[in-house]
Amino acid sequence: MATFELYRRSTIGMCLTETLDEMVSNGTLSPELAIEVLVQFDKSMTEALESQVKSKVTIAGHLHTYRFCDNVWTFILQGASFKSEDFVQNVDRVKIVACDSKLLSQ
Amino acid sequence: MASSATSAVYIHVIEDVISKVRDEFINNGGPDETVLSELQRIWEMKMIQAGVICGSIDRSSGKKQPTPGGPITPVHDLNVPYEGTEEYETPTADMLFPPTPLQTPVPTPLPGSTDGSMYNIPTGSSDYPTPVNDNGGNTDVKGGRPSPYMQSPSPWPNQRTPLSVDVNVAYVEGRDEVDRGTSHQPLTQDFFMTSSGKRKREDFATQYQNGGYIPQQDGAGDASSEVAKAEGSNGSHFLGRHDSATAAKSKILAHLARSSSKIPQLDGPIPDPYDDMLSTPNIYNYQGVVNEDYNVVNTPAPNDLQAATPAPVAQNDTVDDDDDEPLNEDDDDDDLDDVDQGEELNTQHLVLAQFDKVTRTKSKWKCTLKDGIMRINNKDILFNKATGEFEF
Repeated sequence: MATFELYRRSTIGMCLTETLDEMVSNGTLSPELAIEVLVQFDKSMTEALESQVKSKVTIAGHLHTYRFCDNVWTFILQGASFKSEDFVQNVDRVKIVACDSKLLSQ
Repeated sequence: MASSATSAVYIHVIEDVISKVRDEFINNGGPDETVLSELQRIWEMKMIQAGVICGSIDRSSGKKQPTPGGPITPVHDLNVPYEGTEEYETPTADMLFPPTPLQTPVPTPLPGSTDGSMYNIPTGSSDYPTPVNDNGGNTDVKGGRPSPYMQSPSPWPNQRTPLSVDVNVAYVEGRDEVDRGTSHQPLTQDFFMTSSGKRKREDFATQYQNGGYIPQQDGAGDASSEVAKAEGSNGSHFLGRHDSATAAKSKILAHLARSSSKIPQLDGPIPDPYDDMLSTPNIYNYQGVVNEDYNVVNTPAPNDLQAATPAPVAQNDTVDDDDDEPLNEDDDDDDLDDVDQGEELNTQHLVLAQFDKVTRTKSKWKCTLKDGIMRINNKDILFNKATGEFEF
């Protein structure tokens, strides 16, 4: 089953990647096993986001750049605001990377 | 500091991953449980350091170790394996760029003379042993060559050579050129002779046949070489120091020619110039043959030339591109790079999600996202659904 490696770029994903890299370079872990762990992380993360998260966010801003390549949308916003029922966050620049949700369900 | 909700989700994910890979770690002969525990421990520690989970260990509630510092080290370790002892040693050019191997194929000195052209002799027979050997030491060998009328492609590296002092090399003045030319022989020799650097006639043939090919990058200057061959064949008995040098060159050329003959020829059959040359003692005939040989000789060379020229052409292109690049490369710099320069993960606000739909009406963009992780203002926020409206 294919997974979105997208979430590896998140904080949690980067921490895992770093940890695995350290262990592989130490020789503690084999590269194949490290890749398996990452794939499992992809699955677990996707599943957790679907099932465990229930918040809704609204995004608004000026679209500086848009790109659609390999079924991945990349937006760069300027002066963006993120609103949720809990919070409001404003940033001057943010990148949004989005994969096609239909690809996973195929 | 991470919210408890996201922290809980992350902890859940960590545990889920660890439990699911536990089988892999234990059952399939992988590392133990201890390694798995270590993995989990380090992962959680990093997450705490990044401030995304509220660990049970209250060491870093307010402390956010800059993640750029984190990744740098391991990445650095991974990418720079030799940095073990001297971590901060600036990699020298030698370290970064291993000395280019001796691959520069015989850089034809081509003093504009026939010397260079000699390299392009395409001998018809491929058995021509490596002529490289003749750095002048093999004068005797060369001189002793049987008459050039040998038809069989026997290994006789020096046969062509003992010749044409006149054409190719002057005794004294030309010696420098000869030396230059011969100086390249070791290079070619290295290519040709897979085993020892010593030139042994016996070895030449075999090695040469195995020697394969030398990418010939010098221009074809076949005429003189052919003439040289002719003269050499004529003057097979003729020995001379200069001849040896010349012979050496001839050999090299012949060798190259032989090697080149292995290159698939696309423009017609190779008429075996060697045999033609042998059979016709007359120089003029040789020249006639040489004319034919031009076609043959040139055949491999152009291939090589064609192979060679793209490289400089490409280089030229890149040079041209360098001129063009500055025109375009600043397009986004002013807008975006200033903001993020020197700042990495922490300040690069990022949203990773899946999209359900992205639409646009004129300059109004709308999108619906789901299952996303947002990292903004040093905080991790997760969402199940998001809608965006952007103005382009």
